[in-house]
This record gives sequence, C-alpha cells and structure tokens, in this order.
Amino acid sequence: MKYVCKVCGYVYDEDKRGIPFAQLPEDWKCPLCKAPKSEFEAQGGEDKPAAEPAERELGSLSEETQGKLSLGQLAAICSNLARGCEKQYKFEKAELFTKLANQFSASVKPFEDVSPERLAAELREDAENYASLRATADADKDRGAARVCVWGEKVTRMASSLLERYLAEGEAMFEGGEVWLCTACGFISVEGTAPQICPVCKVPAWKFENMEGRETA
Amino acid sequence: MKKAYRNLMLCTKDCLCLYVCPTGATDTEDSIIDLEKCIGCGVCAESCPSKAISMLPEELPPQQPKTDAVKAGLGGMAQRKADEEKQALQLAQNAGTDGLYRLMNAIAKSSRLVAEDLMREAGYMLPQSANSRELLKEIAQMSSEEDMPAAAAKKLLEKIKFNE
Repeated sequence: MKYVCKVCGYVYDEDKRGIPFAQLPEDWKCPLCKAPKSEFEAQGGEDKPAAEPAERELGSLSEETQGKLSLGQLAAICSNLARGCEKQYKFEKAELFTKLANQFSASVKPFEDVSPERLAAELREDAENYASLRATADADKDRGAARVCVWGEKVTRMASSLLERYLAEGEAMFEGGEVWLCTACGFISVEGTAPQICPVCKVPAWKFENMEGRETA
Repeated sequence: MKKAYRNLMLCTKDCLCLYVCPTGATDTEDSIIDLEKCIGCGVCAESCPSKAISMLPEELPPQQPKTDAVKAGLGGMAQRKADEEKQALQLAQNAGTDGLYRLMNAIAKSSRLVAEDLMREAGYMLPQSANSRELLKEIAQMSSEEDMPAAAAKKLLEKIKFNE
C-alpha cells in the first residue's frame, strides 16, 4: 500500500519501507515538506466521489458584495498588478499600484472576534473547498485556474496544519526552527534552514523569506 | 519590437554582453541595460553564459479570456484569503510570543500571495489589460474621502499603454 502527501506529493511505500503507515508515530512528518501524517492519503484508496463545480452567481466576482469588488480583493488585485509591472521592469507604475494596494489594505475593517482557533478552522474549510473550485476550472478547461487550485490547496493545507500544530504544541514548535515563507507561492515551512526547492511551486531556496521576530523587525 | 533586460539576481558578471552589444547599451554604471540604446537584436541574451538577459516584447498579447463561473469561483476564494490575511495580521499584532508573531505574519503574507494568484487567474494578470483599465477607471471615480487611490489610479491611466 502507498500513501501520498497531499501537500508535496511524496509517496510513502509500505513495501519498500517495511513499516506499515499506520504504525508510524503520530508525530511522524513528511520527509520532503514536513507536513504532518494526517495530510497523507492512501493511493487509489477509498473512491471519493468527484467534486462538482459549485453553483455560483454568474458575472460577480464576490458573492458577498454583489458584483462589486471588496477592499480586500482590490488590495490583492493591485499588489498583483504591481508585481506584473515589476516583472516588466516598469518600476514607477509598480510603485503606484503598490500605493493603491496599501491604501485598500489599510481600509479593510478589522474583525471583532479573532482567534487562532477560528483562523485554523477557516483555513481547513478552504482546503476542503478547493475541490469544487478545481471542478469549475476543469469544467471550463481553464488550465491556469486549475494550476492556481493545485498551488492554493497545498499552501492552505500546510498553513492550516502548522496552525493546528501551534494550537497543540505552542511555542515549542519553533525550537531550533525558523519560519520560512516561499515568496512565490506562499508555502510556509518551520525548519532550521529554508527548503532547497519549494515543495509546492519548485522555486530555489533563495526565494524563501525568513520571517523576522519582533526584536529584529 | 523587443528590448533586452538583465536580471541582476542571475547575472554573474561574465560581461559577454559588453563584447557583443553593437550599440554599447549593456555597458552601464548601474548594470541596467540602456533601453534608449538597445536596438532589440538579442545578441546579448544569446551570448550570456548565466542566462541573465531576457528579451521582452514591448507590446504583450491580450491575456487569456476567463469564463464567468471561473471568475466567480476564484473571486470567492480570494475573498476568503483576504479575510484570513486580515485576521492573521490582527493576531500578529496581539501576539504575546515571538513564534506566534512570526507564524501569523507568515500566514498573512501567504494568504495575500494566494489571493493575488487567484485574482491573477480571475482576469487581472496584466497591468496593461482592458480589465485593469476598467478597474482603474472605477477607482479614479472613488469618492473624495478616498481621494488618494483616485489620484494614483488617474496617474496609472495616463502612464500605461494598454494592449486591448
């Protein structure tokens, strides 16, 4: 029997390893991306029903705001367009888009009740919702949208499992580890050194940012 | 017409581009190729041992069309990511410990990257696209209390050469 990591695709082959997957300790992690054991699934195991594209209101980007873009969406669009300018070496325009993005970000209303538990639950929910988004992309034969689903789901799974780990272990999980962020896809890793290659989007180590603590920030 | 651009993260200063450039466009004090002098011949890119020079067309093709269902789906997920970014930023601000502070800032940045990617695939890939122009027009008309975005949007509308 083989088990596949839902974050990076690493395959644990019971026949080759000699130890049944179920007998691995609960704190066993993916040797490639360090995702927890719970992020593995049996290869060709139980047949999950194929996800259906979710019914969504046509013509509107955000269901909540009836066709109008929210401040959060505007911020993301503008910071992405800033990157689009930067990549074309148009730095003055990039700066203007960044300014727009920052202004929209600053206007986003704060949440009244925030907690790591609530955030963890929302991330977990997203990870599960990607299947129906992927079905929409496939139904419309949109490879770009399919790609964004693959990356987004993996990045979200990792973020949610790290936050769940924090809720269980607290600050101990950072002992001897730094918090690394892939600046291309958003993959997060808590390790002594940055991954050689991003397990999700495959960029090299220098694309990772070492998240700074308060003292040095 | 294409122009040559040097990626400074990749450039290992072998300086073959200086040898082959017919106009001296690659020989500059700040390592940035002089676009006034560049004639777009591409010889520098072909001879660069570190593959640090790329030839970029001055005009890009229109971006790929997106269906309404894809736009709605990706936009909805981007909204979730925007909400998670805000929550993570608030949690970082309130964090009493350094580890939580770092993890929350990482999740905030990660959520933004994912949201950016989603919106890119929802029709906002190119700054010079028609979608981007329509969006900038809307921002330019925002009310006076949000005057600052309007000013930046107007400047962008003047400066960008749109491709659709």
